[in-house]
Amino acid sequence: MQNNKKIFFTIFLIIFCNGLKAQDALKTQFNFAKTLYENEKYFDAITELKRLIFFDSSKTYFYEANKIIGDCYKMGGKFSEAILYYANSENAAISDSEIFDERINQIRVNILRRTTDRALMMLDSLSSDKRFLNKINCINYWKGWSYIFSDDWEKAANAFAKTDSSSKLVAFCKEVHSKKYSISFATLISHFIPGAGQIYAGHIWSGLLSLGWNVLWGYTSINAFIDNRIFDGIIVSDLLWLRFYIGNIQNAEKFSKEENLSITNSALHFLQFEYRGVKP
Amino acid sequence: MRYFIFFCLFFNSLSLAQEALTNHSNLFSPTNVRKFADYLFTQRDYLRAIEEYQRYPSILENDTVNFKIGFAYSEIGHNQQAAEQFLNTSSKSIFFDLSKLEYLKSIFKENNFEKYRYTFENLKLKENYIYFQKAKELFYFSYLFSDECLPPKVKFLETFSSNQNEISKFYDWKTDPPYKSALTAVILSSIIPGAGKIYTEKYADGIIAFLATGILGYISYTDFKAAHRFRAWVFSALTAGFYGGNIYGSAASAFIFNAKIKFDFIESLKNFLEKNNYFIPKINF
Amino acid sequence: MKFFLIIFLLAIAKVFAQTDWVKWGKANYSYELPNYIERNNYSLDEKNWERNLLKVTADAYWIFISDVDGDNCSFNPTCSHFFVQSVKMTNIFQGTLMFFDRFTRDSDIFGKVGMYPRVKDGHFYDPPSLYLLDKNKINYFPPSAVVNN
Repeated sequence: MQNNKKIFFTIFLIIFCNGLKAQDALKTQFNFAKTLYENEKYFDAITELKRLIFFDSSKTYFYEANKIIGDCYKMGGKFSEAILYYANSENAAISDSEIFDERINQIRVNILRRTTDRALMMLDSLSSDKRFLNKINCINYWKGWSYIFSDDWEKAANAFAKTDSSSKLVAFCKEVHSKKYSISFATLISHFIPGAGQIYAGHIWSGLLSLGWNVLWGYTSINAFIDNRIFDGIIVSDLLWLRFYIGNIQNAEKFSKEENLSITNSALHFLQFEYRGVKP
Repeated sequence: MRYFIFFCLFFNSLSLAQEALTNHSNLFSPTNVRKFADYLFTQRDYLRAIEEYQRYPSILENDTVNFKIGFAYSEIGHNQQAAEQFLNTSSKSIFFDLSKLEYLKSIFKENNFEKYRYTFENLKLKENYIYFQKAKELFYFSYLFSDECLPPKVKFLETFSSNQNEISKFYDWKTDPPYKSALTAVILSSIIPGAGKIYTEKYADGIIAFLATGILGYISYTDFKAAHRFRAWVFSALTAGFYGGNIYGSAASAFIFNAKIKFDFIESLKNFLEKNNYFIPKINF
Repeated sequence: MKFFLIIFLLAIAKVFAQTDWVKWGKANYSYELPNYIERNNYSLDEKNWERNLLKVTADAYWIFISDVDGDNCSFNPTCSHFFVQSVKMTNIFQGTLMFFDRFTRDSDIFGKVGMYPRVKDGHFYDPPSLYLLDKNKINYFPPSAVVNN
């Protein structure tokens, strides 16, 4: 009788261990896929993760697999697909912390693909969610980055100021904002003094040339009207003076925008390659 | 009681092991790889599906798998690889006849229509070949893409079992395209500035050309009359420039019009083929 | 609600699988904003004196007039660039005729929308290669296209 018990117990152990082997296979597959991801073989990592998801009938690895697929697509620059898989991962999340992490991942990808309105909307919904009241620092941090990518450095500085540990970013954003030219100011002063807006934007030669042409054609057309040469006056003022006057205003706006783009791009370049903190 | 507990645990672990052995014990077994590949195929993740199918030679012994690989290559635009895959289909395969047709379609999709017709003729398909009619429809349709002489209209149209009205319109277009003559445009613009552009349906450009030439010519005339010689010659030169430009532009406009007509025609042919799946029956996997 | 969202997302997954029809690797994307500003090339590296003369004239026009009077041409290339390119591709006489024709088309006050394709910065795409009276050199784009210039 005792021998029969031993036999029964042994057989049970063998078969139970085979059951455990099933979970080992999935874990091995997960680790394999993760290794591919860490070695930057993103396409192959996605294949192996999809294989894992397909065979994981109990959905043990659903959350992590979808998360890593999202990371792979993000590294490959395929942002729409990344968001889709982060959303899948969020749906499989169990804890609030996991849900929050996946929402933040979606927000970061929205920032990268410059759908910052969507990112800000998601951040607003997170900040009004009672479950995440203790994550307000993180939410404000990503709000700052959303504003950076929508080229609103002043709001970015204000958002970073609300976090505990982003003083360097606050100073940086304020500096960028202060360097930028005011497009409305440039166009306004160009209305009154032709060339002034261009000089304000740092294009002195263009500003002086514009002033010169406006003075020349203005003088010519006014002279023509005074001399009662109405047709000549109309032709000169319409085809020449007006052309250079409007051109002066267009250039004031264009040069300000160009300079601002250059300032923004050097700031973004610094943030991407030299800033050591957490980035989108 | 103890025996009862052991009994329950035994059967529980037996079912767990059964599941383990059949589904999870080896994710890379030929069976599991085939299942996963089929899943990828249904998800239209064709490149991954092809890689999975090609993992084991034993999987490739299956007719359906080989056909699916060719189909997947065709869907992702790798027409040459699709053609090779279909060409290598065994004569014993249930997909042999359909593979021949898909092979021809892959060559067609490479936009090499002379090669398609040459291949069709060289394959020497018998009339009792189940898809002979389909291949023949594609054969005749290829004439619409190339610059070769079309067969006679009756013979051309009787090949097609459906959509004869639409194909008849394509045939008529091909034999007599609604091109505009550059010479006619030039002559019209020489007589009335802008008329050539209106002939080539650039109505706004024609009106502008007419007004520019007319106004500048009038100014030049009045200046000559008023003995303002310098201004008169300046405006004469501008008038001549706009007049010559209008004639040149009319000829160029005719060339562009014809290019647009040809572009639209080729696009409508392509859309027709996509809509009708290249005359090939749709496969439900 | 979650169920419908999952179904919706899975449906989208079917569509998005198409991006994986080509094997891809790590992307080197940049944070920087795209810059569509085109600058004139004032260099003089032409092979013969006629071309250099043409370039000097064009450069003088660009520096003293075109760069100052704003963005008046809705085409890409602009009329002055069109003239320079036309003369280089053909000769001074044919290039001049092409320029006068282009000037007529640029003066179209009825709008060019629906007549020409566009480039990324919104200008209408109208290269000289379309006007060489050679059907083999015409690379036609429909008006709905956005040309990567």
